[in-house]
Amino acid sequence: MFAVFKREFFSYFKSPVGYIALALFAFISGYQYINMFAYAQANIASEIISMISFFVVFVPIITMGLLSEDKKRGTEILYYTNPVSLFDVVLGKFLAALALFGIMFVNIIIHIIITKSSKGSVGIGVLGASVVFFFVAALYIAIGLFTSSLTDSQIISAILSFVFLLIFQMLATLSTFISNGITSLMTNESSDATSIAAVGEKIANAVKWLDPLAKTQEFRYGVFSVFPLVYCVSLALVFLYLTFRVLEKKRWSQK
Amino acid sequence: MIEIKDLVKVYGDKRAVNGISFTVEDGEVLGFLGPNGAGKSTTMNILTGYLSSTSGSVKVNGFDILENPEEAKKCIGYLPELPPLYMDMTVLEYLNFICDLKKVPKVERKMQLAKILSMVKITDVAERLIGNLSKGYKQRVGIAQALVGNPSILILDEPTVGLDPNQILEIRKLVKGLAKNHTVIISSHILSEIQAMCDRVVIINHGRVAAVDTITDLSKKLSGKSKLLLSFKGPLKEVVNSIRTIPGIIDVKPRMSDDSGIHELEIMLDPTLGSDLRANIFYNMAKGGWPILEFRSLDPTLEEVFLSITSH
Repeated sequence: MFAVFKREFFSYFKSPVGYIALALFAFISGYQYINMFAYAQANIASEIISMISFFVVFVPIITMGLLSEDKKRGTEILYYTNPVSLFDVVLGKFLAALALFGIMFVNIIIHIIITKSSKGSVGIGVLGASVVFFFVAALYIAIGLFTSSLTDSQIISAILSFVFLLIFQMLATLSTFISNGITSLMTNESSDATSIAAVGEKIANAVKWLDPLAKTQEFRYGVFSVFPLVYCVSLALVFLYLTFRVLEKKRWSQK
Repeated sequence: MIEIKDLVKVYGDKRAVNGISFTVEDGEVLGFLGPNGAGKSTTMNILTGYLSSTSGSVKVNGFDILENPEEAKKCIGYLPELPPLYMDMTVLEYLNFICDLKKVPKVERKMQLAKILSMVKITDVAERLIGNLSKGYKQRVGIAQALVGNPSILILDEPTVGLDPNQILEIRKLVKGLAKNHTVIISSHILSEIQAMCDRVVIINHGRVAAVDTITDLSKKLSGKSKLLLSFKGPLKEVVNSIRTIPGIIDVKPRMSDDSGIHELEIMLDPTLGSDLRANIFYNMAKGGWPILEFRSLDPTLEEVFLSITSH
């Protein structure tokens, strides 16, 4: 697994991908931080959480080539014909992408150091937001890795993961949209409308339940709970397993 | 040693490989032939663990490729038709990565890589990016990756495809050198290459083994008898009668004669005899004082054998 991790991690810096992602992250987070600092409201926890909303762009860039490029260049054969397990390959690639997010996070650490030296403290919420940052990144990377296993085109992989992540990002909005629909139905007092509204309400709640960001809302205030983290890890594992299955299936069905 | 037994691979309703069985002995160089779509690459992919078979078994040095994949794969070095190279790595970085994949112990690594680099003659490009190398060098890097971990079996799929004649000769020389201490399976469309390098050939057609034998025996089997062509200057009748007296000669037929007294004979030998009669014929001709102008085997070439077997 370490061999694959090392190869993928260093390959980020042999192409523009790693540098573009790092520069983009530094620019956006820096811009936000300077704005907040200018208004004397340096809330790092908010900065971290708002950076998560940009994952929808960062994750496809970082994960699009992880497996699709191997497929395109024919290098995937190395993983099938050498004494290495396919799950180690998946895990190695996943950790390499997560490590790149770790490097991106150095920007935030610099902001924390600057704030701490000027204001004296940054608050426990920063720790909570940082935890959310990495757990959501892990979940999104697992989704990106999965879409990368489905195609040999980086562009198609990027578009697929962008769509997947956008849906995840918009779960809260989607839930509100359903709730609003229900409210408008409630004004109609027929019994049919009431039962449809009841079902709709359940769907809205289920959609909201799926949203990893809504689950981790309170972390930024320093309120920690285990369940949202278990949720992110479980879902990430599901996508990693699906990726593994896609690779394994190739052994049986490829032409 | 590789033992392949009743190998079957089904894609949908198509049987790409349909009950292939053969054995490759230790130290043997085996040529793997077949027309496009015959199931050659599928068989090679199953041998190396890239694909799983629908049924049947592959044992590599006693390890089943499905039950003990790690142990079996450790014994195999594979060069696919398209060398699996990372263009953004230097040769040395890439080979170190392969060492990691093959779990070569760190202490052995430096010495092993130095040996491989000099064996395939890529020491001078070790620090260069693979993407910037010529096709011949890329192919050598591909062979180098197959040699990492010192596997006892090498499987080379079209190792000289797309190379210029000089590069082909170099790669052929390299493979011949490797064959001294490895079991080698080579697939190629260049039949002269197989003829030059292999002890035995397996010809695959329509997913089945059409023939397994040495090239000489295949030719003999195909023609039914062994034939020689003799061109000489001298009296035709006398020579024919003289050669007919040699035991083991079944028939002698004149093929061509010209005005200057040069004749060509087709000599049919008894295939069960097992001994070489060429020396006897030579002494016979020398005794009569009839100069030999050309003397060669008329057995079918590998091309003819291949075409005959695969066109059925």
